[in-house]
Amino acid sequence: MMAIVAMAAVALTLAACSQFEQRDKRFYYRALWNFALREQLKELDIEFNGVDFGHSNLYENLLLSGGKDVEAIETRARKETLEFIAARPTLNPNEEAIAPTYMKLAWKAQNTFDEAHALHRATYDIYVSDLKDKRKALERVLSFYRASDYAITSKQLDHRRLDTLPYSKAFRRKFPLFNATIWAYHYLQVVVYDALAAAPDLSTKQKAVEPILSTYHAYLDKPPVEWTFMPMTGELSPKFAEEYPEIANIFDNLHMMHDSISDILSSELFQSWEDKRNEIYRITHNYYWASADATNPYIVPDGQPHHEGPAAEKSQHSGH
Amino acid sequence: MARNLLRVVILVVVMIPTALYALDHDNLDPNRPIAIEDAYVIPKGEIGIEGGVTFHDRKEGKSRFGFQPQIIYGAFENMQLEIMTGFLTEPTTVVGDDKSGDLSVGLLYNLNTETINLPAFAVRAEVGFPTGVHSKGVDTELTGVMTRSFGRWRTHVNVGYTFLGSPQGQERSGTYRVVAAVSYPLGYPTSFRDTIIANVFTRQSDLVGQRNPTGVGVGLRHQVSSRVVVDAGLGTEFIGPSDRSVIFSTVGLSIGF
Repeated sequence: MMAIVAMAAVALTLAACSQFEQRDKRFYYRALWNFALREQLKELDIEFNGVDFGHSNLYENLLLSGGKDVEAIETRARKETLEFIAARPTLNPNEEAIAPTYMKLAWKAQNTFDEAHALHRATYDIYVSDLKDKRKALERVLSFYRASDYAITSKQLDHRRLDTLPYSKAFRRKFPLFNATIWAYHYLQVVVYDALAAAPDLSTKQKAVEPILSTYHAYLDKPPVEWTFMPMTGELSPKFAEEYPEIANIFDNLHMMHDSISDILSSELFQSWEDKRNEIYRITHNYYWASADATNPYIVPDGQPHHEGPAAEKSQHSGH
Repeated sequence: MARNLLRVVILVVVMIPTALYALDHDNLDPNRPIAIEDAYVIPKGEIGIEGGVTFHDRKEGKSRFGFQPQIIYGAFENMQLEIMTGFLTEPTTVVGDDKSGDLSVGLLYNLNTETINLPAFAVRAEVGFPTGVHSKGVDTELTGVMTRSFGRWRTHVNVGYTFLGSPQGQERSGTYRVVAAVSYPLGYPTSFRDTIIANVFTRQSDLVGQRNPTGVGVGLRHQVSSRVVVDAGLGTEFIGPSDRSVIFSTVGLSIGF
């Protein structure tokens, strides 16, 4: 009995600790279309399971190697990721087993990713399913997503400006191969929407993703280091971005947040894990979460063009 | 002994699902497959149905089979509600708080996620109603749960106390139990379907004047599909009263949706 009281006392004192965080895991939106991608378009689902491994494995290795060891990241961690993708996983991996240290460092950021990735999965399921009214289903999953405290803003963020923070580009400068690999994942994640939408039935959807998967695997074999900015949804699936601009913004912001955290974990500006954690949480709270919309200085005001880069840069991603 | 082992093998074969549709196989629940709870709850909104068949080869007395169905619901953020029961053969000989057919309602609240400096903690409360064979009084159980990971190894400690509402005969009015366990995901970095768990436990005997049943167990949770986990466990009580389980085993299934 004394042991229970002692454990309860320990637990109660947790609230006073700076690292006290709640877990706040939320189940995905339950619907008939759940796992439509896994069950009907297995080839694509397998690739997304590989992508899940890549991000977590990168963060764990960046954290443990201090973001300094080129061999550890560009060769070993990248090789592990490619091997996992080559294993053709039919279920998504347990990311807490892949990155146990990173998950303990920045759980809130990870939970933010988990929620957004669930939205990604839900949209793929809806696109692959035989639902007649896909718009209504997409509105439902968007509404469910936005009800989360961990929802990323659906407003346009100025990614070019977000890419000018003091540590921005640190990851791509030190680890160009892995960065291009990450961007290849993001290419795959957004390019499929218009291709799936244009295909009227399952067999044509399967055919439509074949060339995309070939291009993606070519990028994995020879990472597109010539890209100077991450792939954007509006560039690769313009119809999807036009029809569902809020969802497209969330995905672009999600991918930018991935880049920002890679930069923080690679930067020498943050000497301790605590400093890295503080910066990850600062940008998550202030620049990425929807709860910061009223004060977020990186939101593009309505009516203004989204970040504009040189035309040559923008067209590079659509070479498939 | 050989006949009992054959029974265990048959149970395993019968319980393996063919085409069902998970609860996260790394999220540990008591008796699925061995006695340990981790500090994490199922996500808010998830429903889990779990069940397992148990077999106890006792040192004295007849061997005992059991069936333990359970429903779990992620009712609130960081909190799961549970409703469970258990059915045992030889029900009239069961002593202690878990009589055959007792219905229990439980609550597990995860206080925090694990961070670099802090383990994860949870508290569990369970109320058992006397719906079973020869059961009297409402039993109450309180458990403290801690999970701490070291790399991919996860360690867990459960410390609990059960208050019997209406002890009968030589039954104690309250019993403590302590369980420690480690779990590890097998197959990294190319497979994430299996978690192995091992525990060591001791608990106060149900009847006064007897030694603590103390033993070890080992189990495996295997993710079959997006929604289904199967498990199997085996263990022994090497110290304890004369009717302790020389071998206990279980096979089970968890479905999340």
